[in-house]
Amino acid sequence: MDSTRQTEDTAAHWLARRELEDWTVDDQAQLDVWLDAAILNRVAFLRLETAWEQTRRLPALAPGAGRRSVPPRDGWNVSPFFERRQGEALPAARFRQPLTWAAALLPAALLAGWYLWPGDRTFETPIGATASIPLQDGSNVTLNTASRIRIALDDRERRIELRSGEAFFDVAKDPTRPFIVEAGARRIVAVGTKFSVRRDGSAVSVIVTEGAVRFDADDAGLLEAGAVAQTRGDEVAVVSKTVREAEEALSWRTGYLTFDETALGEVVAEFNRYTPRPIRIGSARLEDLRITGRFRATNTDAFIRVVEQGFRVEVEAGEKEIILR
Amino acid sequence: MPESLDSWFKREIIVHEAPLTRFLRRLCPATEDIPDLRQETYARVYEAARKARPASAKAFMYGTARHVVVDRIRRRRVITIDTVRDLDALPDLVDDVTPERQAAAGQELRVLAWAFDALPPKCREVVWLRRVDRLTQREVASELGIAEKTVENHLAKGMKRLAELLLGNRQGDAPDTMQHPNENSHGQHQTD
Repeated sequence: MDSTRQTEDTAAHWLARRELEDWTVDDQAQLDVWLDAAILNRVAFLRLETAWEQTRRLPALAPGAGRRSVPPRDGWNVSPFFERRQGEALPAARFRQPLTWAAALLPAALLAGWYLWPGDRTFETPIGATASIPLQDGSNVTLNTASRIRIALDDRERRIELRSGEAFFDVAKDPTRPFIVEAGARRIVAVGTKFSVRRDGSAVSVIVTEGAVRFDADDAGLLEAGAVAQTRGDEVAVVSKTVREAEEALSWRTGYLTFDETALGEVVAEFNRYTPRPIRIGSARLEDLRITGRFRATNTDAFIRVVEQGFRVEVEAGEKEIILR
Repeated sequence: MPESLDSWFKREIIVHEAPLTRFLRRLCPATEDIPDLRQETYARVYEAARKARPASAKAFMYGTARHVVVDRIRRRRVITIDTVRDLDALPDLVDDVTPERQAAAGQELRVLAWAFDALPPKCREVVWLRRVDRLTQREVASELGIAEKTVENHLAKGMKRLAELLLGNRQGDAPDTMQHPNENSHGQHQTD
């Protein structure tokens, strides 16, 4: 609802005025009228006030700073701020406001104005986690479960090495610096587009949801939006889907897995990417079951429950694995 | 006394904004109006606390959030069997909606530096000149060569963003952790 935002706006202006102006009894009386008019007004104001009070410690950040000089960004003497270990994600913040429901679900949201330093960094996600990594050039990488990526940006090119797992790239246009993703022996080159790359050992698959990418520079050629390319040995099979279907295959970005008449074996393999306690199919008759639906990727239990109730499957939940019979 | 109710509310409720937001997001993974649900939760908690302050502020806050969500779902008639089951299961979930982690000594300052640096340039300057250098509105305006009214606008904007950043990432949620989707661990099964 817009009214929440409007209320917040008004509250912010009240607070700013009280902070800036010579605040008179009259002003306070007017503010009180507004605060008393609705509890939503009051809680919005209190919320902003709480945060503002926390900025009281700002002077402590730059004790020696001269008057009227605003310290540069990152010029803080607060030590291990950026000594992040390899594999840790960059700061996550809910900052860029117009969240689509998809973005709202992204476990780590974007932070405008906050960028990856130039140079070389490696990131990885544990099983079941995803992470969003804003790059210095305005691009954004979303890492899926159990994935590992190396990012190296310089003046000539933006080079990403997908060491394992899956990543979705939202590439900022920059014709002077190609955006290159290497997955094992495969190379994908983009100039301002959205696509994902997934790697299972030497097999690589690419899904394009916007713009176009060059897969392996020469052989498979240009992949347009909706294309799903999969390597089989030396060959590359390309299937053209609608953009919507392609997006569906990437629903992991919102925390969901979407299936449409998908074989149980394949569904189970998908879920197993997100859980340390894998599901095994212990009976051949189950292989052919087809699953349609949307599930939370990390909620294996909900999925098991549906299979159990819907297909009369016996579930044997052990400590290390779950067996379906 | 209204005054002390306000500070109670800030101390006991608003500081839990980060876990509250996660909690709401987990209940309503597919909605964009989390801020809306959050503010409604705040309002109801505040109203109830006017009559009597709850013994356990945080538990009361989660309970209220749950009611807000249930009401919303009823109003929109989008209830599914799974949603009902999940909502019924909620009280059990509350415990593992992680409360704030204990902040290390320097952590709070780091979060502050990080949030402050994330402000747009002009907002950032206005906030600093006012908050640290204690310049008046007029002085800030002439220092930056902008209108006095613009100073107010930048400050208001900065205050909103700071709330988003500081409260949303309370105590170390921000700079060096990533969230796990399994924080949203309740199931949802949609077949259409």
